[in-house]
Amino acid sequence: MIVDVALFASLSGFHTHEGQGHTRQYDLASGTTIADVISLLGLPDQPRIVFVGGIHAEETSELHAGERLAIFPPVAGG
Amino acid sequence: MRHSLRVNMSDLSVVREELPAKWARYGGRALTSAIVFTEVPPQADPLGPENVLVVAPGLLGGTNTPNGGRLSIGAKSPLTGGIKESNSGGQAANALGRLGIAAVIFTGKPVDPHAYYMLTIEADGSAVLSRVDEWAGAGNYEVADAVKAMRPEGDRYSTITNGPAGEAGLKASGIAVSDMKGYPNRFAGRGGLGAVMGSKGLKAIVVSDKGVATPAHADKEAFSAAVKTFSAALREHPVSGQGLPTYGTNVLTNILNEAGGLPTRNFSEGSFEGAEATSGERQREITLERGGDVSHGCHTGCVIKCSRYWNDKDGNYVTKGPEYETIWAFGADCGVDDLDDIAELDRICGDMGLDTIEMGATIGVYMDSGAIPFGDGKAAIATLNSIFDGSEPGKVLGDGAEATGLAFNVARIPVVKHQALPAYDPRSVQGMGVTYATSTMGADHTAGYTVATNILKVGGDVDPLKPEGQVELSRNLQIATAMLDAFGLCIFVAFPILDIPEAFTAIHEMAQAHTGDTWDVDALLQLGKETLAYEKLFNDAAGMGAKDDRLPEFFKTDALPPHKVVFEVSDADLDSVYDFVPEVAKTLGIS
Repeated sequence: MIVDVALFASLSGFHTHEGQGHTRQYDLASGTTIADVISLLGLPDQPRIVFVGGIHAEETSELHAGERLAIFPPVAGG
Repeated sequence: MRHSLRVNMSDLSVVREELPAKWARYGGRALTSAIVFTEVPPQADPLGPENVLVVAPGLLGGTNTPNGGRLSIGAKSPLTGGIKESNSGGQAANALGRLGIAAVIFTGKPVDPHAYYMLTIEADGSAVLSRVDEWAGAGNYEVADAVKAMRPEGDRYSTITNGPAGEAGLKASGIAVSDMKGYPNRFAGRGGLGAVMGSKGLKAIVVSDKGVATPAHADKEAFSAAVKTFSAALREHPVSGQGLPTYGTNVLTNILNEAGGLPTRNFSEGSFEGAEATSGERQREITLERGGDVSHGCHTGCVIKCSRYWNDKDGNYVTKGPEYETIWAFGADCGVDDLDDIAELDRICGDMGLDTIEMGATIGVYMDSGAIPFGDGKAAIATLNSIFDGSEPGKVLGDGAEATGLAFNVARIPVVKHQALPAYDPRSVQGMGVTYATSTMGADHTAGYTVATNILKVGGDVDPLKPEGQVELSRNLQIATAMLDAFGLCIFVAFPILDIPEAFTAIHEMAQAHTGDTWDVDALLQLGKETLAYEKLFNDAAGMGAKDDRLPEFFKTDALPPHKVVFEVSDADLDSVYDFVPEVAKTLGIS
């Protein structure tokens, strides 16, 4: 299944392949969870803010074809 | 002992006063709001002689408190009609604090409406008013250069200056404060306080603290220990220790966009196709390519260092940041995706003395009228410049988003208490809707920054799309923020103190060690509540009521893409946010 994965700020460099901007397409096996993607990408072991389709998501959640996963390190501003 | 300077702009006297004992524990916003409450008749004309302009460092101002150098400027606001504390970074609070000055209070109004004055406070504590009529119409950068030319070689000083917007009495005008390099690029932007400064004929305040030591502490050893704990927490927390120093405040653009909470094209959508091009990540790349500075503090003692300088394509300094709120206001809210256009708009506002949030929202509203197209950055620049060349539509725009929306028949006017909403849509960040609606300041994100918990998951987790839990979250953050503002602490310390208990404890430990008074957690929260009580009672007496604690109706009727949500917190719940005020007012003996 194809899933869009977006990595931001200090995580931007963890994509497995080149591309424009923060988002890449990944072909993932059915049943892949967010935690599986984090492991696949080798993201550092630190708190994260995770969205699927713009809604906060748990890392145990399964992904589905056509979804957009976005992962941020802890960030804030104002 | 801290003292005040009372500057009477009617008779041009400058008098040193002791700080009343009842306010010995007040600084910053607590002090500006207590003074405005006490001295300004609630029905006073904000631009008349009865209003005061109060400039106050925080209670810990001038000390080595990490990120403790924020400045509060207070008055009755010509924009909201209520009380106002506009908060700025920059170097002036540190200088005033070193001099032991708790507040500079400007009263009255010059007899000669064409007279312009500068107040100079020297390092020996002396203070004099001098005529600077030749600076009439000068921008903040020109005034900063003129001050520099007047100061002795090797002086250490900071400036607080007013641009042409304030001179003209525009309701969107703000007051500029110099940073550590002397650029007048930090801003007490909100609420039209430049107009109050202008009404008093005040063009500049210069504060020299050359050779002045930091104030003595009641317990130096305990103070140093608490500072060490606080500083370590700010450096340790990933937000204040990594995210903000690396990407600046604009690290928020991508995450608010992802969450569907980035107000786009005058609050008609919650995500912007130009977010990536205007993001903090892209801003950092361009800034580095052009030799700009990507991380420095805006005042002595800052350890977060989220400030940066934007250079043009030739490598020349244009402006600070720009900050997230500014990039949103002139970017997503106007549909503009060019950071150079946004930086030019920021520079114009900084030089002329306009609030970038109010002006971005204003141009967004103007674009919504169809007068100029969304996305046209060059037209936005021309429109902003029209405020100062006497042409239409500038005569209206300088008074802000509401005035512009009414003049050009725009249905969607994003204001509360006449002040424009900042960079978080209250439909997809519902806690911010509570803060915008109920804050004594009008729509103000800093007053109770629920984005932390709604979106960024700092200090807990409250679903941003649902009404549950938002009132309690906003109330607690409004109280905590008022406290931070009273100490002169940067709002960004809120992220570590929400997650690291020792950081919160360190605040009252610093306060106790510095002042010798007893401080604890309850006292911190009481300080926040007392500040809000003064403000709420002033607004009530000025004629504000429950009807003013509401978002514009369209937030409750127009579903926001992409999540198709409306603001759902009930009016009854909004009316409960300030339910602590009567009891606090009773203890203060005010009504």
